[in-house]
Amino acid sequence: MIVCVAVVGHQNNPLYIQSFTEADDALKLHHIVHCSLDVVDERVNNPKKSGPLLNETFLGLLYPIENFKVYGYLTNTKVKFILVTTDLDVKDADVRNFFRRFHAAYVDAVSNPFHVPGKKITSRTFAERVSTIVKSFGLTSAV
Amino acid sequence: MVREVAESCVDSLLTEMVASYCNRFYANKPELAARRIEAIGYQVGHQLSERYTMERPRFSDHLEAIKFICKDFWTELFKKQIDNLKTNHRGTFVLQDNKFPWLERISIDPSTDKVNSAEDDSFTTAENKAASTISMHLYYPCGIIRGALSNLGITCAVTADISNLPACSFVVRVKA
Amino acid sequence: MMDPATTPLGQMLLEEITPVVMVLSTPSVEDSSLKNGLSFLHLLTPFCSFNNIDVPVRTASDQPYRLHKFKLRLFYASDVRRPDLKVAKERLKQVITEAGEKVFSELASDVPHIDHEHASSEYRNTPSWFQFLNKELVRVASFSDHEAFDHPVACILAVSSNDEGPINRFVDLYNSNKLPSLLNGGAMDPNILKHYLLVHDNQDGPAERASKIFTEMRSTFGTSDCSLLCINSSVDAPIKHQVNPWASHMSDASLSQGLGCFLNTDDINEIKNLMQNLSSKYIIPNMEQKIRELNQQVSATRKGFRNQIKNLWWRKGKEDGADSPNGPMYNYSSIESQIRVLGDYAFMLRDYELALSNYRLISTDYKIDKAWKRYAGVQEMMGLTYFMLDQSRKEAEYCMENAFSTYVKLGSLGQQNATRCGLWWIEMLKARDQYKEAATVYFRICGEDILHSAVMLEQASYCYMLCKPSMLRKYGFHLVLSGEQYKKCNQIKHAIRTYRNALSVLKGSTWSYINDHVHFHIGQWYASLGMYDVAVKHMMEILACSHQSKATQELFLSDFLQTVKKTGRTFEVTKLQLPVINISSIKVIFEDYRTFGSPSAANIREALWNSLEEEMLPSFSTAKSNWLELQSKLIPKKNSQSNVCIAGEAVKVNIEFKNPLQIPIPISGVALICRHSGSTDEARSDENQSNMEKNNEIDHFREMSSDNTSFSVSEVDFSLGGGETTMVQLSVTPSVEGTLSILGVRWKLSGTIIGFHNFESSHPKKNIVKGRRKSNYSPNNMFKFMVIKSIPKLQGSVRHLPGKAYAGDLRQLVLELRNPSDFPVKNLKMKISHPRFLTIGNPEHIKSEFPACLTKKIDSVNNDAQANPGIMSDTVFMFPEDTSIQGENPFLWPLWFRAAFPGDISLCMSIYYEIGDISSVIRYRTLRLHYNVQILPSLDVSFQISPSRMRMQEFLVRLDVVNKTSSESFQVYQLSSVGKHWEISLLQPPDTIFPLQSLMAGQAISCFFTLKNSRLLTSEANEPAMHVRSDLSLVPQSSDNLVFNINNAPLINFHHFESIAKSYTDQGDLNTVDFVLISRSLKSDNNSGLSDPPCVMSHHACHLSTASTGPISWLVDGPRTLQHDFSASFCEINLKMHLYNSSHATAIVRIDTLDSAGSGGVVQSPTSDIQAGWHDVTPTTPTSEPKVTSNAFETQLKKALSLDSVSPYIWSGSSSTNLHLEPMSSVETPLQICVFSPGTYDLSSYVLNWKLSSKGHGGGDETKQQSGKCQGYKYYITVLQSS
Repeated sequence: MIVCVAVVGHQNNPLYIQSFTEADDALKLHHIVHCSLDVVDERVNNPKKSGPLLNETFLGLLYPIENFKVYGYLTNTKVKFILVTTDLDVKDADVRNFFRRFHAAYVDAVSNPFHVPGKKITSRTFAERVSTIVKSFGLTSAV
Repeated sequence: MVREVAESCVDSLLTEMVASYCNRFYANKPELAARRIEAIGYQVGHQLSERYTMERPRFSDHLEAIKFICKDFWTELFKKQIDNLKTNHRGTFVLQDNKFPWLERISIDPSTDKVNSAEDDSFTTAENKAASTISMHLYYPCGIIRGALSNLGITCAVTADISNLPACSFVVRVKA
Repeated sequence: MMDPATTPLGQMLLEEITPVVMVLSTPSVEDSSLKNGLSFLHLLTPFCSFNNIDVPVRTASDQPYRLHKFKLRLFYASDVRRPDLKVAKERLKQVITEAGEKVFSELASDVPHIDHEHASSEYRNTPSWFQFLNKELVRVASFSDHEAFDHPVACILAVSSNDEGPINRFVDLYNSNKLPSLLNGGAMDPNILKHYLLVHDNQDGPAERASKIFTEMRSTFGTSDCSLLCINSSVDAPIKHQVNPWASHMSDASLSQGLGCFLNTDDINEIKNLMQNLSSKYIIPNMEQKIRELNQQVSATRKGFRNQIKNLWWRKGKEDGADSPNGPMYNYSSIESQIRVLGDYAFMLRDYELALSNYRLISTDYKIDKAWKRYAGVQEMMGLTYFMLDQSRKEAEYCMENAFSTYVKLGSLGQQNATRCGLWWIEMLKARDQYKEAATVYFRICGEDILHSAVMLEQASYCYMLCKPSMLRKYGFHLVLSGEQYKKCNQIKHAIRTYRNALSVLKGSTWSYINDHVHFHIGQWYASLGMYDVAVKHMMEILACSHQSKATQELFLSDFLQTVKKTGRTFEVTKLQLPVINISSIKVIFEDYRTFGSPSAANIREALWNSLEEEMLPSFSTAKSNWLELQSKLIPKKNSQSNVCIAGEAVKVNIEFKNPLQIPIPISGVALICRHSGSTDEARSDENQSNMEKNNEIDHFREMSSDNTSFSVSEVDFSLGGGETTMVQLSVTPSVEGTLSILGVRWKLSGTIIGFHNFESSHPKKNIVKGRRKSNYSPNNMFKFMVIKSIPKLQGSVRHLPGKAYAGDLRQLVLELRNPSDFPVKNLKMKISHPRFLTIGNPEHIKSEFPACLTKKIDSVNNDAQANPGIMSDTVFMFPEDTSIQGENPFLWPLWFRAAFPGDISLCMSIYYEIGDISSVIRYRTLRLHYNVQILPSLDVSFQISPSRMRMQEFLVRLDVVNKTSSESFQVYQLSSVGKHWEISLLQPPDTIFPLQSLMAGQAISCFFTLKNSRLLTSEANEPAMHVRSDLSLVPQSSDNLVFNINNAPLINFHHFESIAKSYTDQGDLNTVDFVLISRSLKSDNNSGLSDPPCVMSHHACHLSTASTGPISWLVDGPRTLQHDFSASFCEINLKMHLYNSSHATAIVRIDTLDSAGSGGVVQSPTSDIQAGWHDVTPTTPTSEPKVTSNAFETQLKKALSLDSVSPYIWSGSSSTNLHLEPMSSVETPLQICVFSPGTYDLSSYVLNWKLSSKGHGGGDETKQQSGKCQGYKYYITVLQSS
């Protein structure tokens, strides 16, 4: 199950962080997301692991921590999407699909003329859309 | 969720925007009007680039980004590509559109003088006025290009050149 | 890659993995050495590490190589055993705590900012105590039986020369029951190289006995293995060694001085030589030899294919060996141990190839035997060997990994070894700049021991920072983690340190949650240490956390307040962001020459006041000049730009406070911080400026706020609810002259903490620079005032001005002015923004009661006020020259108020006055009063005038009155026509109009009057027609018959303004009439919202034009019905037409009669006679009353339509006649028609063309039309067949 999703701006400033656990571990999740940025930078900056997935938006598994798995996605506009999940066997396709829909939601959110670029996303409809996407995560029916 | 708008609507919207900024809001300071219009374009480009780069891998260098602007981005906007792309390999790109849709329907007759009263001094000749009018209309696409590029992480300055209409070439200077 | 030996790990190995020499000594030896403050061991230790002992070494291989650096480790026999875990832990803990104290004490007060170059440079060497700690951790695992490099290779037996029976002592020093378990337990070969050392203390006397014993020793133990050592040779004064070799080896440097005080240089040299001999002549050769024979043995049994197979088969054979965790026991004689020994010896003698080969050999065996601990040990050594050989990193790391995991699998047994292995592994990784991997290893070796894990986590964090590119976020995260661990095993200081380092990462980032958490805990921990100031500093960072949940906000705030309370004193902080101050909202209200009667007046736009006052003030330029030059005498030019305020008068500042939190916060003692400097000379004010720039110092503020001798500030308390915003008005009142500058605002949050906000700093500098140009409202001038000595200030108000009134309401008000100061003020002028609403009355009105004063006195027919309405022009009103206000008794002046039209009116009036004494900077001041009045609609009055067709210059007036109010009912009291020459009279008696004397709410009535132009009649005789009755009482005369005199002030004045308000500025037009309708309110019991119902109301209708289209009016006169015998002849009818020229110019009129060939048909006999008798020919006339025109237009159209339905008749006589009309004169001309059949005829088919000769007087006439054309109006004539 997805524990937390986050949108991080191109200056590594959090634009949207939402945790889906009833436990009050917002802080820990913030830390995890925050640290994951290091890994994102590492992935992007040093072309050690070059080849096809060098420029792919989907960054795959960033790192496992405790009992979480952290996945990353970096758009062309240097906006990062972070996904923290507790599932043990996560199908790559599912994550990709999730990120694709999440990205779509994000694009619609920032296309709102009243949204100030670089500011936190406060749109309620965005939040709702995200939660539905998160709910449908892992279900193969999800498209 | 594909929404489409008739081109004519966009055309008239653009014309109306330019007109109202030049004649109503900043009647006698054209450079200010220009900046506002450019800013609007910037935001539009900023958001469109977010949308149109969704399904594609990240660009590794400037040229790729510019190519994206020339091909896919332009196609999304105008159903056509930029016809000619030139660059000195030191950060300046010239994007030429031989038949820029937003200029097609602009006719050069004295009636355009009214479009921007800011310009009509007694001594400027008619085509001068026309040119300045058209340039007013070009701040918007310039802004779009700049916004799109800057959202892709390329800070640059974009200017438009209308030496031979309806061809129109946008000059992108990347801030090193 | 650098030479492995020089890397930290290399150093460590060369230090730690070296031959061990066991020391056995008799007490007397110890005694003699203790004279130097050293145990015997310590005495020797410094001389056991050789930097260039140049020894040729030849191990298994034939060609020798030379060994340069070499070290022996000395241990007392009692120490040759596994260290006690408990003790070790304790020592570690103590080390950490000490380190904590030490580092914490030298902790910089400000958070270090980290960026990459920092990361590379200053953090290259992590805190020094880590190395020490790691050494300790490694030591804990020493003297294990599963590895041989800790096993003593030799032992030194030391006996003092004054022991009796030294030989025997030597023997029983080395008897097995005293020996450490390693030797006894059979883990290692008990018969090791022994060296017999005879120690002679020169203070015990000469060395003869020693030498005797020495020879005896040689004979017993053999010459080679014995040596004699003489110490304490310096019998007399103790010597100081400038370079003390022992100091570095002692644990604490405190008692390092007295060391070796009895050892002179040749003693030291002797010791040196002894140890050097020992190692080079005995230990190393011995090891070489052992290596060689072991090697032969091994190669004999194990090298070669056959041996491999055999060994393998054999091991399979003893497969069933008990599978104890550390595998089967191997004693020293077993081949495995010997191989291990071989490897270790080789390692210690740096023959790594040999060592590696043997380790390889043995590790497989151990693996097969499932002797895991030994296996791990060997793997570990293999890793290290690979490292030292600097080849195949993969192998090395694989080995370390393998060893580590194996140790870990062993659980508690392998714990210490695992840690040691891990540390070595980490060092290996670090040496190769693989910091990220190192960090992960650190992460793995932090076991369940919290303190231990805390330290490891912290080291891991440093690794994250050191790796390229440095992963600062992980650095911060691990710091936070370790900080939590430290906290758990209450190493608070370490916790604080780590968190503070974490802050350096978060600084400036928007990750507010993490930031808050860190700051909050640092604050808490500082508080728990009792360092409340720092705690408060940190907690303040997170006060304005609007993003946090309500609960969190409460927690933060409450903790913060508690901490502050614990400090015992009230805190003062410059930028406390609770509550938030909205800088843009700051508004300064001060009174220089302009003073405000009410706060509402201050909010009116300045421009409006200026426009109101401009003709009252002495013209601006002159005014400026004269009081500028007046100032320039008093004050430097610079200040002349700053605002002026008067001593004793408050300067008010409006500030908006906002509460970012969701919880209410109590604010108290909000006050301005001001600086008042008595003198206004240049230098002083400059230094004021200069330290106003940097006045963030709190004490500066306190000092400012404390001295309130020269001014007094107001204090405000309020409480801000969650997310609330309030506007507060603060005031400062200077008491003496000088310069007053408002620096900022201070407030007290919940009674404990005082916040300051500095206005100046909140403004960007460039504004200030720009501000110089525009004199006012520039940041630095906005808050800077020149205080001048107090001058009189008028206080004014308007008595009983209603807040609400009905339109037309007429009241008498009193303007009340006071001047509390003791200087008189003179030359009062006054200007009112809405003269339609307020006019200035005469002083005598005050005495006369209202409304009686309005009524017409019998005697005073013509009053003075009405004589000249000229003064009532909307210019400034001058109070009489002699008026000078001073002292207690108020100055009263009557005002008249009339609600002119419905709506919300803001009445502004400005009163100008001059100060008595000339000495003051300000000569004059203005008092600005402002009131809002809401006017409700009351009566809607409309008039409609149409000329009479009976008589010339007589008109029918129709009055429509509608009561628009909801509840009030009025009594329409009197209708008056303004001007002398209009006479009005009722058509019906009033009681028929008003059956019940009053007009109920919503009721509408209409009544008719006749209006006669009396001038026409009296035009010949020019004496004023006094008898003309222009006032008409609409109430039955039964009621009190007092008649309001509309020619009297104030009615005439209001009427004047009303008529001015109508944009119809022609006075001399005689064809317009003005009406004034006076109505009174009845005492209605169901009184609506109004406080006091209006007593008298007047409605004015102005410039109702009586004139037709043009100046020409005419009347057709003739018979209405006549009988004629058509059988005899057709009928001729003679008519007269009267024409009147009401203009001032002569008019030429042409009458064209046109015979219409309309279809026949008799018109029905006309309808009600009034209707037939009256109608107007005026197309839209330019008159003020819209109702009239609209009605007129409709009727006109109606007529035009019905034009065609006329039956034929013929105009006889001239079809066109020209007439010449003198001004104001009338002529009459005959007309004739012929009709041929009985019927009713409409004689409207003629047209009047008229033209004014524009000469005459040209002046006012341009407004009127010069020529025109009038349709004839219906005139019905009925002809009957006479029988």
